[in-house]
Amino acid sequence: MKKISDITIIDDDAITVFGLRKLISSSVECNSIQSYENGKIALDAITDFYTNKKAIPQVIFLDINMPIMDGWEFLEAFIELPITNKIRINIVTSSIDPYDKKQWEYYKNKSHHLITFNQKPIDRNKITEITQVA
Amino acid sequence: MVKVPLKSNTSYIIRQLPSPTAFIDTNYNIVQTSDKWTSIFNLNEERNSFKSLFAVFPKLSHKWKMVLDNCFKGNPQPMGIHQTIDANGQELWFEWTNAPWYDTNENIVGAIIQLSDITEAVNNELELNKKELLLQQQAEITKIGRWEYNIVDNRLFWCSTTKSIHEVSPDFHPNIENALFYYKEGHSRNAISMALFEAQNKGKSWSNLKLQIITATGKEKWVMAGGKPIYNKGEMVGLIGTFQDIHEQVEADLKTIDNEKLLRTLIDNLPVNVYIKDTESRKVLVNKAECEYLGINDPKEIIGKSDFELYSYDAAKKSRKEDLKVMNTLRPVIGKETVKTTLDGKETSFLSSKIPLLNNKGEAYGIVGISLDISTLKEKEKELRNIINIASVQNKKLLNFAHIVSHNLRSHSANFSMLLNFLESEEDEVEKNNIVSMLTKASNNLLETLDNLNEVVSINTNTNIEIKEINLYNKVVDVCQNLSPFISNNKSKIENNIPANFNIKAVPAYLDSIITNFITNAVKYRHPERGGHVILSAEKKEGYSILSIKDNGLGIDLDKYGEKLFGMYKTFHDHKDARGIGLYLTKNQIDAMNGKVEVSSEVGKGTKFKIFFNEKN
Repeated sequence: MKKISDITIIDDDAITVFGLRKLISSSVECNSIQSYENGKIALDAITDFYTNKKAIPQVIFLDINMPIMDGWEFLEAFIELPITNKIRINIVTSSIDPYDKKQWEYYKNKSHHLITFNQKPIDRNKITEITQVA
Repeated sequence: MVKVPLKSNTSYIIRQLPSPTAFIDTNYNIVQTSDKWTSIFNLNEERNSFKSLFAVFPKLSHKWKMVLDNCFKGNPQPMGIHQTIDANGQELWFEWTNAPWYDTNENIVGAIIQLSDITEAVNNELELNKKELLLQQQAEITKIGRWEYNIVDNRLFWCSTTKSIHEVSPDFHPNIENALFYYKEGHSRNAISMALFEAQNKGKSWSNLKLQIITATGKEKWVMAGGKPIYNKGEMVGLIGTFQDIHEQVEADLKTIDNEKLLRTLIDNLPVNVYIKDTESRKVLVNKAECEYLGINDPKEIIGKSDFELYSYDAAKKSRKEDLKVMNTLRPVIGKETVKTTLDGKETSFLSSKIPLLNNKGEAYGIVGISLDISTLKEKEKELRNIINIASVQNKKLLNFAHIVSHNLRSHSANFSMLLNFLESEEDEVEKNNIVSMLTKASNNLLETLDNLNEVVSINTNTNIEIKEINLYNKVVDVCQNLSPFISNNKSKIENNIPANFNIKAVPAYLDSIITNFITNAVKYRHPERGGHVILSAEKKEGYSILSIKDNGLGIDLDKYGEKLFGMYKTFHDHKDARGIGLYLTKNQIDAMNGKVEVSSEVGKGTKFKIFFNEKN
């Protein structure tokens, strides 16, 4: 398994963040795991990495329903960033709304990044499967 | 001894007798004639003397022989009336008489035959017969009979037509009593009796009396009777009159009247507006419904009026154009949806048809209009559309809500299952405690979520929410009282500019929650660089009471968040107390009261919410 440099979790639910961190750290090797409460904070941070030529996270776990800036808004802004590396974005949600599936299809086709749609709960196997370099 | 008539100078006297006269002897020979006789029966002045009478009138000899024989015995008899063609070929009628011819010794020596010219009388009689015949024929054709009443001998005469109208036999003998009896009891008999009385006593004539008789065979018939007194030397001697069978005519008239009545009843009771216009688009007929629509009692008020007098100029012009098109093309307009506005501003939706009226040459002489008032239907349709809209909005909301519920419950259950999984395999006691405390938090979160969902469900399902009239000013004062520590802690002030008597219709608990929520939000999201200032005001407009809540806070970027402002679990400010449920509940409560909410905002300056409370509740 290829070692992953940086992983980012964007979710407003502290329990989910705790769980994801625990799962990732016990099954995947990585340098750092960063987490952000909503899309806005995450986007600001990543934009800052890009501007200052710091490492962009290779895998992003993204929640959809968040205050201030939700997952779709984050995606919209993120794919506009001129990041040439192929980033893996794992959408993690408990939503079964067909609208969200449609949105995913839309962004998946629009971007060169790898975008996956995952429904909660996420178990250890799932984490191993989706926590890889794109 | 044969008595020979004396032929002497008396013959000259005989010749001069003024009437045609012939003397014959007992042998029937003509002995002597007057010149008058000669001029009638002799062509060439030749006298018939001593010619046999039978030779001159061969056709009559046998009849006359007996008559003359009697005459010779002293019993003269009339010889009848006979036609003669005179020497000039003229038709003459004579009445023949005879008398014995006595000699001086009183012996009968022959007979004197004398003719009296009755040509004129006979011609008159023929003329009379002809007229009589003509009258009778006329009577038969026109069914106008005659009658005559002779006052002096109380005799009544009916002509054959009069009899046939009465359906009595030709030999029926009428009299005044049975004649009156044929008139139908009641009006008819009274009227004719009165007319007869007035004629006899006052000399008044009558005409055109339309009466009913019952004929001899029991049929009811309409007749027209006329009569007038006749006078002889200034004295009334009788009455004459006419008697006409007008049954068919009256029946036809009655039928026409019946048909008209039927038509009128029909169009007056149709639940549609019916009118007929002439070529100038002037109304010539309107039914009851049309009168009611135009707000008049008597159709006469609008007969002859055109649309220009009943509707606005533009509407009338349009309608006139349509009328002309129908009359020119002869193509009817059927079931067209129109909206008419009367001069007093009443608006009505019609399903109207215009059909050209054609004369026997196939040209239009007007139009008949039929309009069905569909205003109520239209109103219903609008209501229905509204209901469909509401239903579709509700449906959408419901689906949205279902997704929210599913999402929230799933996310909690996912957390539970994840944490329990960790707990199972965790060996480190400290980490175990950590996971348990997470589970407790997850459980609390789930409870809170369930509470919120419960609240939303109760707002949306409580159909018999009780709406009351509430004084808005006082309500705001109460809410501010309850919130006063929170408000003063946040260095904010509330300005209540609502009129003291301003009442709205709302559910008290909802109104409480709505005002609390908006004021709390306004204070919570105040601008960090200045004290909060919230201004409340109210006005009534277009069926709504509108409460405006204006603050000088952070403001919201509506372009970005407008759609989600009232969504569940949406928060837009990085604020530790933001839960994203308040505005969602508020919106649900406003919707439940058939109200609406509008928002305007400028980032960094402030936000203004306008809450519309429906007055129709």
